[in-house]
Amino acid sequence: MSKILKYISSLILCFVVVYSVQAQKTKTEAKTKTKIVADTIKTPLFNGITVQGDLISAASSMLSSGETYSYEGALQADFKHKYLPVLEFGYAGADKLTSDNIGFKTNALFGRLGLDFNLISQKKDKKPTTNLFLVGFRLGMSKFNYNITNVSITDDYWGGSQAMLYNNLSTTKIWYEIVVGIRVEVIKNIFMGWTVRSKSLLSKDADGNVTPWYIPGFGINNGKSNTVINYTIGYKFQLPSKRKSFGSIKKPNAEIKPETKLKNNNQQTK
Amino acid sequence: MKKTQYILFVLCMTLCFSCAVDESCRTNQSVLMDIGMYHVTQTDTSRTVASMTIDSITVRGLKYDAATKKYSYMDSVLYNNLKTITKIDLPLHSFESTSAFEVTFNSKRITTNTVTNINDTTLYINKKDTLIVTHQNTDKYLSLQCGSIKVHSLDTILATNNFIDSIRITNRKVSNINVENIKIYK
Repeated sequence: MSKILKYISSLILCFVVVYSVQAQKTKTEAKTKTKIVADTIKTPLFNGITVQGDLISAASSMLSSGETYSYEGALQADFKHKYLPVLEFGYAGADKLTSDNIGFKTNALFGRLGLDFNLISQKKDKKPTTNLFLVGFRLGMSKFNYNITNVSITDDYWGGSQAMLYNNLSTTKIWYEIVVGIRVEVIKNIFMGWTVRSKSLLSKDADGNVTPWYIPGFGINNGKSNTVINYTIGYKFQLPSKRKSFGSIKKPNAEIKPETKLKNNNQQTK
Repeated sequence: MKKTQYILFVLCMTLCFSCAVDESCRTNQSVLMDIGMYHVTQTDTSRTVASMTIDSITVRGLKYDAATKKYSYMDSVLYNNLKTITKIDLPLHSFESTSAFEVTFNSKRITTNTVTNINDTTLYINKKDTLIVTHQNTDKYLSLQCGSIKVHSLDTILATNNFIDSIRITNRKVSNINVENIKIYK
């Protein structure tokens, strides 16, 4: 049942992603039809802070019936509309039971710090865009405790068994992420977009170590890198003075008003 | 335009469903001590060691009874008259530091007499040797799906000499990675 729910929700999510990109494109195309010639665009140093939340992690947490859960948000500053330092934080955990009744439990806060680069450059002869095509990196960290229960060793030939106790084990994990994504302004100051990120742990556990099955902020620890997708919605807070400056269009000085144009024509006929 | 939408949709679907978690344990969980059989041919000028095939072999575990101070057979047989054997894999005791086995060899050795140039055949029928292995046991965690196993470090190995000429430890670590741990020479 949960697999069907996951499937349906993923389908809906895919349609939302496709539709939002399509809608944004149509909107942009429509606007560019109104011929506006802009003067040189001066991008201010600071363009505000975006507060955003991840929809995919929240949705998958609700669908996984508590096996794994993650809720995360981010604060991202915008400098020169090119450099976007970001602080991501969240709360994640797992309560997993395998088919052999081995249990794993953890929950903790996690944080990531990184920088995105906007690859869309503002062109002089085109309308300035607030949309972003981002490439960046993150350094993530989580310090957490975890329990592994119901592990036992049984000697099938000589006989005997032993229950293993792996309670309240503590660890700190650090990983890095390579991020690629887009973000578009769907309504004024409301941004939506997705990012695909590849996560890799900085250090590898030694063979035989009691490794955690799930790392908050990183995901399932399978000894390899994890690839995940985020779909974020966010609100951009801008300084009052900056609201008009970026994205506003100065009309060209040389443009001739219709009335003046008419007068000139009359003079010529005379 | 429709093509772009289709590509995006396929991309999303791939990303959503490519992250399925495999629930089954794919790691080898059996920890066995690997013993190889070798034959040594020695002449005045050379000494060659070659892998030896035993015609048939029977191996049983021996449990030690502290009260009677005697070894008795385990209920199940590890190798029951198995034919053409070049190596055997034996489980060590997970919770005790000594494991004992009785190995019964049935083998035929053909050697060429260098003086007469005639083949000499020696028959070994139901030759029984006892192996006593002392070892240390440690826990090794594999994964959430596979749980934990006991791995061993070999200390000493003792053998009677009814069939076996000599015995040597080649790798002390007995784990779920199969490597030869002991060589038996005839």
